Amino acid sequence: MVKKKQSQENLTAITVDADELSANLKENKTYKDLTDKLAKIRKKSGVVGYIIRNATSAAIDLKEPEKLVEYAIFSSKLQDSSQEISDQFKLGDITNVLIEGKQNKALCMNIEGNKISIFMERDADDADILKQISP
Amino acid sequence: MSNEVYAFTLESTLDEIQNACPDVTSNFVFKDGKIIAKNKKTTEENATQTINAFDAITERANALGDVDNITIQSTKGKVNIAAMNDFYVTTVSSKEADEKYVNTLTRILIPIVIKLSKKIQLASLENETIRIDQPKSEDNKDEAAEGAVEEMGESDEAKDQSDQTYYEEEKEETAPVESETYEEPEQAEPEAKYDNDPLLPEPPVTQLIVENLSGLLVPSDTVRIDKEVITQWAELYGDRKIKEVEVEALNGKITRCKFKQIKKSKDAGKGIVKMPEKIQLTLETQQGELVTVKPVIE
Repeated sequence: MVKKKQSQENLTAITVDADELSANLKENKTYKDLTDKLAKIRKKSGVVGYIIRNATSAAIDLKEPEKLVEYAIFSSKLQDSSQEISDQFKLGDITNVLIEGKQNKALCMNIEGNKISIFMERDADDADILKQISP
Repeated sequence: MSNEVYAFTLESTLDEIQNACPDVTSNFVFKDGKIIAKNKKTTEENATQTINAFDAITERANALGDVDNITIQSTKGKVNIAAMNDFYVTTVSSKEADEKYVNTLTRILIPIVIKLSKKIQLASLENETIRIDQPKSEDNKDEAAEGAVEEMGESDEAKDQSDQTYYEEEKEETAPVESETYEEPEQAEPEAKYDNDPLLPEPPVTQLIVENLSGLLVPSDTVRIDKEVITQWAELYGDRKIKEVEVEALNGKITRCKFKQIKKSKDAGKGIVKMPEKIQLTLETQQGELVTVKPVIE
């Protein structure tokens, strides 16, 4: 009984913004869902790796970890420049970008603030991957 | 070939594409960072900014290899930048645009126009060279050159070009000119051969969509084509044996391979060519892309 009294005395009042808490929880849930989906996609044949990042977290899984910086810079540049192009023609926010090179291709998208880039071989089924990752 | 020649034909083509498909809001062609042609609705600034952004992407795209295609899907529309015969074609379309229709128009028309422009230019240059060479052997160069220009009856630009070609040739004096002139009888020989052979119609070119062909027993050097197409060829060439076809991708890559009739009835009449992965890699094409197929007449 004495112990219970002591713990009640040590409590301090904390103000919680319900909206902010709810938004953070939702953001974390979306991020977790997306990383789970990406982990499954990563196992598909032809998928070389992925990068996901939001304001607070990031996850990277690449076949060639030594190229991490190269892929990360490219991914960021692709999303920024694609948005610039979209803005030029007043097309609004980008939903996804597919870039195809002679050897590989990349699919980038922005889902609820989570910027995702999936790298794959040229013959991989990007439409199927887009379908899987889309909410 | 100078970019100016392409510019005229491409600009007309881009305008026609937009007329045919009003959902294409803007389109332009660029090469080596320079605008080659744009339609009327595309501003210089938009095109330049897009090219700069594209260059910024390709500079960092070493991990992917040379960039062939970028498709940016936005909330209100789509931008596609595709490599075609050393050019990049940018097409901006609204959300309502029929993607397949726009792709078909752009990816077929533009490469054809580029190829045709190239061929026409080469052919006219050859004609000019022949006409200019002939009078030279008659030791009356000045009169002949004037005559050649009058005969052509072409635009001022073409006349200027022919004059220029003539004077360049003149500077080189006799040796190279003579060698070209003497080649003419050699060229006449094949014509004589054709007289003995029955005249054959030009092989028809059929556009088909690539579909994957896989399986354990599938030969990697054989494509499968619709029965109707093969029958048309057979009717056209009668007893002539057609053992191979020439397949050309939109990027200009060509390969020869054997062919067979499509087996599955559900795939018949769909306008597809079933292609093993090895041939797709050779052509640098893939499922869903267009290729042209024509028979190789033995």
